[in-house]
Amino acid sequence: MAVEMKLPPVLDIIRGNIVKHGNPLALKGAEVASWAKKLNLPAQGEILFYTGGEYQLVPFIDSLVKTMTHMDQGGKGFSLMMGVRNILDKAGINAEKIYASVLAKDKERFNNVCYKAAVVLQQLGYDLCYGGEQELYSGALLYELGYWQDLREYGQKVVQSIKQSGAKTIVCLSPHAAEVFKLVYPKLVNGFQIEVRTFVEMVWEKRDKLPAVKFDDSVVIHDSCRLARELGIDQELRDIMESVGVPVLEPMRSRKWTTCCGGPGKLLFPEISHKIADRRVGELEETGAGVILTSCPYCLAALQGGSREGSGTGVEDLIEFLYRGFAV
Amino acid sequence: MSVDLQKEFGDYSKNLNRASKDTNIETAITRAVKAYRATVADAMERYPHTPDLAAEVRRIKADSIANNDALLRQAMESVERNKGKAFYARDKQQALEIVAEIIGKEKIVVKGKSMLGEELHLREYLEEKGNEVWESDLGEFILQLKNDRPMHILSPAIHVPREQVAEIFSKFFGREVPPDIAQEVAVVRDFLRDKYFNAHVGISSANVVAADTGAMVIIENEGNIRLSTAAPPVHIVVVGIEKIVPTFQESMKVAEVTWRYAQYGVPSYVSIISGPSKTGDIEKVTTYGAHGPKEFYVVFVDNGRTAMAQDELFSQALHCLRCGGCMYECPVFQVTAGNFGHTYLGGIGSIWTVFVSGGLEKAAPLLYTCLRCGRCVERCPMQIDVPAMVAELRNRIINGEEQETGLDSQAS
Ligand code: SF4
Repeated sequence: MAVEMKLPPVLDIIRGNIVKHGNPLALKGAEVASWAKKLNLPAQGEILFYTGGEYQLVPFIDSLVKTMTHMDQGGKGFSLMMGVRNILDKAGINAEKIYASVLAKDKERFNNVCYKAAVVLQQLGYDLCYGGEQELYSGALLYELGYWQDLREYGQKVVQSIKQSGAKTIVCLSPHAAEVFKLVYPKLVNGFQIEVRTFVEMVWEKRDKLPAVKFDDSVVIHDSCRLARELGIDQELRDIMESVGVPVLEPMRSRKWTTCCGGPGKLLFPEISHKIADRRVGELEETGAGVILTSCPYCLAALQGGSREGSGTGVEDLIEFLYRGFAV
Repeated sequence: MSVDLQKEFGDYSKNLNRASKDTNIETAITRAVKAYRATVADAMERYPHTPDLAAEVRRIKADSIANNDALLRQAMESVERNKGKAFYARDKQQALEIVAEIIGKEKIVVKGKSMLGEELHLREYLEEKGNEVWESDLGEFILQLKNDRPMHILSPAIHVPREQVAEIFSKFFGREVPPDIAQEVAVVRDFLRDKYFNAHVGISSANVVAADTGAMVIIENEGNIRLSTAAPPVHIVVVGIEKIVPTFQESMKVAEVTWRYAQYGVPSYVSIISGPSKTGDIEKVTTYGAHGPKEFYVVFVDNGRTAMAQDELFSQALHCLRCGGCMYECPVFQVTAGNFGHTYLGGIGSIWTVFVSGGLEKAAPLLYTCLRCGRCVERCPMQIDVPAMVAELRNRIINGEEQETGLDSQAS
């Protein structure tokens, strides 16, 4: 007999958003693709630049989580299976207001990561195409949270949208997208036959073309779990830093032994997640490096959230850091 | 049917949050993680053959689990041949009844540390039956007095600092016990010594069982196992069926890998017990109960393990040696200790909870706590893929249990 379990609503909200809106937070396509306006990337080509909307949604997660926890405690019953906008409206909290509370500078920063990534790759000689408003989130969270049946279906849509680009290679900014495409799609979704690369690998291959980054301090690398353990990419980051002439310090735990940033726990256990991030930032700061570098939208957000006011150690994505070399 | 887990999630996460702010836990775990990493790194350097041996043990465990039925039969025969008595307990209730039946009422029982004991709530059950039961492992003893549950499988009282231990002991012994570890150890030693020699029954588990000889291999440092399995006239071993390996030789390999990753470096004691105490010194007539127990019982407990063994993805969870290494490396465990878990703790614990200790519903909050970050797999000598199992179990939570959504089933 099937026993249906009622889980915390945030799970189903995320699921509904992905399946219906192609984005875990139901961000609008125009919002997700706004960073690309200046670049005029074609919709078709050999190499598909893939953001999956992940960097773009990161600044919204915290306000969603705050609202959710608030609502849970208030015991407001609200029906599931709706887009987050609907839910927030129904519970009497205005969606636009929640999202409006996200600081413009945060939105801009994370949107800019996508822009900078595209510029870096273009400067290294890659010809990119981009799905724009049609681009769909990979569905990594469907896999992560157990919605495999949904992923089977949703994945077909993703495959179709990717196929439209005619690309042979997809370059993922987020290791979570790369992981799900590379390791899960082949087993769960039919017809996915495109070479999956990460931003890091693409840069690594042409690292001799990278301009030096003028930086008087050293950096410490926070390996993302997915990148280091699932995808086996760790040395590449160090090689890249060597190419741009910036010394790298190693924290107590790195590479295959890297400590999780706590990000995956954010939706259900925000306090624990924050605490873990905080401790990880502590491990990284102990090295005395000037900047903490990572290559994952969730790590970036989590570590940013865990970093202490006034500690002086910045947190940057590898993309942002490399872009320093191009933006003179 | 539908089960609303929202309250459980709520209570559970409140508890996690509380734990993450508990400075006792923070201090203790920080110390423990540091010590664990240092000891294991040191042991690996001193005994560099360990990773290869672990690889061999992975094969031994995999074969043993695949062959568990036959090994169980063989192990039971060996125990009987050695003049012990062997039992098979299908589930928790049966296991408890068998043990209670052997013991009877109003007995003094000394007990060694065992996760299976926790799984069965063995001490509580025997107490209900009117027995006086003492945990002989120091950590477990503290928890028994504190009315608390283990927060780590090897260092159950990992979350209780010496100051708190002193308080607990002062209250229990009715005199001032200072917050001095040596003195704390000494009072328990005195107290339990008396129990060992007056106990009617000693209960232990086993880290490994060799089917060919019926040998129970038990690793420890304190010496409490030595005493509680040797002094009382009756010794009962309560052990999970997954602990059986084919030969004595192999059991030694499993034992070495277990203690190496369990931060023992070299354990002070490894007991190998295969039957009751005996002597043939007078006229070559074998007589039982010379200095040690006259009676020796082994209860092999299934309680869901066979179902686990038969599941292609989940049988690997039975390879767990309970070394505890994964917990020290778990970022969630590091801030919450055993609050991330029920009886079985951490990521691997969430898997065990599903099969032997409460089921999918009970495990759901745990399964969603796991970050699936994968560092436990790096540490695990058995390379148990906890993140993969957690993912599949979440899928079962969402899409139903009986549906076999093995990853490979549909896609080409
Ligand atoms: S899962 Fe692995 S690391 Fe964790 S206790 Fe078991 S054997 Fe040790």
